[in-house]
Amino acid sequence: MNAFFATIHTSFRRQLTYRAANLSGLFTNLMFGFFRAAVLIALYKEQTSVNGLSINGAVTYAGLTQSLIGVMSFFHWYDLMHTVYDGRVGADLLRPINYFSYWLGIDIGRALGALIIRGLPLFLVFSVFYDITLPESLIQWNLFALSILFALLISFSWRFLVNLASFWTPNALGIGRFAFGLSWTLSGFYFPLALFPDWLANFCRLTPFGASLYFPIQVFIGNVQGAEIMQGFFIQVFWVVTLIILGHIVLAQGVKKLVIQGG
Amino acid sequence: MEAIIKADRLSKDYKIYKDHKGYLGALRNLFDRRFTLVHAVNDVSFRIYPGELIGYIGPNGAGKSTTIKMLTGLLVPTSGEVQVNEFIPWKDRKDYVKHIGAVFGQRTTLWWDLPVRDSLELLKHIYEIPSDRFKQNLDSFRAILELDAFMDTPVRSLSLGQRMRADLCAALLHDPKLIFLDEPTIGLDVVAKQRVREFIQFINAKRGTTILLTTHDTADIAKLCKRIMIIDHGKILYDGEFDELIKYYGGSRVLSVEFAEFYQDPTIDQAKIIQRDGVNVIYSFKREDISASKLIHQLSEKYRIRDLEVQDQAIEDVIRDIYENQLLYN
Repeated sequence: MNAFFATIHTSFRRQLTYRAANLSGLFTNLMFGFFRAAVLIALYKEQTSVNGLSINGAVTYAGLTQSLIGVMSFFHWYDLMHTVYDGRVGADLLRPINYFSYWLGIDIGRALGALIIRGLPLFLVFSVFYDITLPESLIQWNLFALSILFALLISFSWRFLVNLASFWTPNALGIGRFAFGLSWTLSGFYFPLALFPDWLANFCRLTPFGASLYFPIQVFIGNVQGAEIMQGFFIQVFWVVTLIILGHIVLAQGVKKLVIQGG
Repeated sequence: MEAIIKADRLSKDYKIYKDHKGYLGALRNLFDRRFTLVHAVNDVSFRIYPGELIGYIGPNGAGKSTTIKMLTGLLVPTSGEVQVNEFIPWKDRKDYVKHIGAVFGQRTTLWWDLPVRDSLELLKHIYEIPSDRFKQNLDSFRAILELDAFMDTPVRSLSLGQRMRADLCAALLHDPKLIFLDEPTIGLDVVAKQRVREFIQFINAKRGTTILLTTHDTADIAKLCKRIMIIDHGKILYDGEFDELIKYYGGSRVLSVEFAEFYQDPTIDQAKIIQRDGVNVIYSFKREDISASKLIHQLSEKYRIRDLEVQDQAIEDVIRDIYENQLLYN
């Protein structure tokens, strides 16, 4: 096993040890899921479809986003920042590893753990209470899986970048709150982007946030076809590559600053 | 013999920013920042040879950690050169760190929420340690450090002593030729300290690992290090044998006497009264001024003595003397 997979494995195991946190997270996400579904159903009233999104699709949308909160850790992640402030970063830099890959490994392990104990159970429970839309073919399932993988890479790289702010300022928490607030709004988390005005929805789709939350869900409920799918994946790959390169550049600058000024 | 660490005229300056006061000051801070330059390490040179176990000591803020950070590649020197084996630590950090190990007494490098075993397994993959070598090392360290009792316990539930033993094991699994131990006995009880010391001695003697040890515990130094370097205000004040230092600066001895009756003025030539409490008096004297037996003889001729005890000055006091009185500057 190489260091990357070993790190995933270790981080996965750690995630499984957080039983209380996982359970309370699951419960909270589930309650909000019911709440959001209820609001959507009330909004739809007699209509069966708004902007091409069916009521079942909208409810599925709510359940799926709630399931993915823990997995993507999209709106709250300061783990790396903490290691910079308490000095653990020093020990990490003394390891013969690529710092980005090391944290990516940790995050994939965390995401897998969260998927098994938070994401999947939540979606199962949700599907008992609501009439939800599932992918209709194996291809669609596979496309969804691929889009989720890219989504995680985008989500991680974005969070990595945000956390790197801690290399420069002793209080990067504020920057983090702003950045995560931005991703929260633009990802189409509150409401399906299909319910936004067109210009706003189109803009959100192009951002890394739309690419990492909205697009995979569109694939799942079958709301995108053919060329739109290709376009979605193109945007995803663009952000994966861009953010990973950006992450490495900013990291190199941060480490340079750390070793010259002594953090 | 070729030195394993070569440090030549090594210096590190930090800028400590001072803020302007008040609201307008806060605005000024954006454009005009005042700072003072602190010479954390100032023109330091030394050689460390393979197999040495060196104590690197000095008061808080003396420049110890800054030196260690430059030696491990975590800091770029402001000026001067440092070379460890064929590496320049800060330049070749990623290749260099494969060959060294480090333990920081103040914090663990293990995964807090997982059993000790998991962290060690991960290190096997991170350092690409061959399986048989990993097993050999782990078996050997498990036995000496007695890790078996808590191998499957999450790190957060370990006592400080157990955690330190696990951290020591973790730092050595990849057979580093050189390790940095930053206060490995801090906060430990007497028994745990002794265990850690024995292990340090073992890896130095049996495996020939070169060790640079920083500590505030002078007993660590006395028991482990032949050679010490003392740093203060960024300057190396002493680099040489520990025994020599004690001989030069630790000449004073202490005689505690319990008299049979109370004396108004129990003074005696060539010895100084440093503490007095009723019939209990403590004298301090120099080895070269008077021998202990002569002093006792003189005392017993003048006064009636119930009990007495002679002690060398504690090493700790010697070191404190050196820091406080800046003895080594002269």
